[in-house]
Amino acid sequence: MQIAIASGKGGVGKSSVTASLVYLLKDTYKLIAIDADADAPNLDLLFNVEKWEEEKELTGAKIAKINTETCIQCGICAERCPYDCINFIDGDYVVNELTCEGCGVCRLVCPVKGVITLEEVRSGIIRKTTTKYNFPLISAQLDVGRPNSGKLVTEEKEWAKKIMKEQNLEHMIVDSAAGIGCQVIASLGGADAVILIAEPTPASLSDVKRVYKVVQHFREPAYLIINKADLNPGFRRLHEFAEEEDIPIIGEIPYDRAVPKSMTMLQPVNEAFPQSKASKALKEIAKIVEEEILR
Amino acid sequence: MQIAVSGGKGGTGKSTIAINLAIALKEYFDLVLADLDVEAPNDHILLNVELQNEEPVHMFMPHFDYSKCIKCKKCAEICEENAIITMKDGTPFLIPTLCSGCRGCEIVCPVPEAILERQKTMGHTYLTNTVYGFPLITGKLLEGEERAMPIVVAAKERAQKLKKELLLVDTAAGTSNTVSKALENSKLLIAVTEPTPLGLHDLELILKLADLMGIETWIVLNRSSLGNREGVQKVAKEYGVKIVAEIPYSENIIHSYIEGKPIVLSENKEAEVFKELAKKVAEYVG
Repeated sequence: MQIAIASGKGGVGKSSVTASLVYLLKDTYKLIAIDADADAPNLDLLFNVEKWEEEKELTGAKIAKINTETCIQCGICAERCPYDCINFIDGDYVVNELTCEGCGVCRLVCPVKGVITLEEVRSGIIRKTTTKYNFPLISAQLDVGRPNSGKLVTEEKEWAKKIMKEQNLEHMIVDSAAGIGCQVIASLGGADAVILIAEPTPASLSDVKRVYKVVQHFREPAYLIINKADLNPGFRRLHEFAEEEDIPIIGEIPYDRAVPKSMTMLQPVNEAFPQSKASKALKEIAKIVEEEILR
Repeated sequence: MQIAVSGGKGGTGKSTIAINLAIALKEYFDLVLADLDVEAPNDHILLNVELQNEEPVHMFMPHFDYSKCIKCKKCAEICEENAIITMKDGTPFLIPTLCSGCRGCEIVCPVPEAILERQKTMGHTYLTNTVYGFPLITGKLLEGEERAMPIVVAAKERAQKLKKELLLVDTAAGTSNTVSKALENSKLLIAVTEPTPLGLHDLELILKLADLMGIETWIVLNRSSLGNREGVQKVAKEYGVKIVAEIPYSENIIHSYIEGKPIVLSENKEAEVFKELAKKVAEYVG
């Protein structure tokens, strides 16, 4: 089974909830965790991963290069670049490698053959390790300034499927990126269930609604966890949203300083402070996940 | 002139800092705030305003006129996204979700008008008048669309067109090329972080990007009382950047955030942090 964890908004506690759920489920189920937030992967930090067993470079991203020796400086490439990534600097047309999307239009419109080439560049790295808790983790790290494509997440999932076969694992837990773009779409694609995480703020509500629209597109069953639930007790709009859309709320986690504290200890909160308020709520949630989703 | 608020990790308080700084900077500049976190735009929610003046962001999509197409397959061959597939006889078909709208197919097609223009709406930009004395530009990607870049570009252009003295940009999390696009041409980057190992990891990434782009960077340490400040100080030293402001974990800020009442306008002592930050920014950018 494939479970994706998503939130739309960053910083609502996706990674810390994922880390605790995986930590609580690891002894009963054979699972693999995937950090699909290639822009800012953090799950390895929460599982205190110190070394990686295997790494693969990710290529596939393409960047345009202009040969300044043969360039006739007509400027058509700069004019036609859909994303305004070619600049005239110190007498030469230069591609901005940090914003180029690699579409290749510049090469097509260039009147001189061979001046502009599309070159494959490293877009990042995918890594695999076995955590000290004995389940495998796959994580990706995008190089700065590279296009963040869903391909990266798709590749992570392919690798995970291979490992699942080899090690006879049952479940894949995917910690998706914030937002609703290609990497989130790739994280949600093929999931059997999606756990949404939101905090009781108008901003988080707006973002979780947006990601839920993407979930609906895939027709995947969704569940909601309300994190930092007591921060804004008068705020009922998350409950209203869940009721309107018929999304079961599988738990509410109170705000608890034990959570950021456990982060600095590089441990899931249920390991660092099993008796804390947040840990108790997460334990209840893990039970519901077992009964409702993994059954 | 342009400055930016960014910070690698999501949820560190980028938007909170951006909106409060914008209000405080109004003392010094005629400005516009641009929310370029197009996958999760929230500045309007924190400012408690309804988005206004919606404009769609269209993207080109090829539409094949099969009566003219000579089935040469050139369009499929050059498509970097593999969005055009061809039948055995060369008849092209478009997979709309993969198309990036670059017009490459139209450029290489040898037959005039065999590829016609169709447009797809990718998202919207908004120009909202706020009660704070500055307009807000917002970019918003449509749910189900994958490409943030065209919306970032369109929103930024709309903000630039207002020709204000100062453009304050609030970026998405992360360090991908859409963040670079938002940061491009900034004179100063305010990197917001929190003193946790996660915040620290992501701070290093944004400092690397700023370094590559040659943008002067300052750190604002949010929720500074929660974790290990020494780590942030060490990274700041390593990259030669300074921590210009520290904001302790504060119930007042959380409440202002929840209620959509910017803290800088309140009597709370936290308001001073933003006023001082604005003063430093104004002195730096002149």
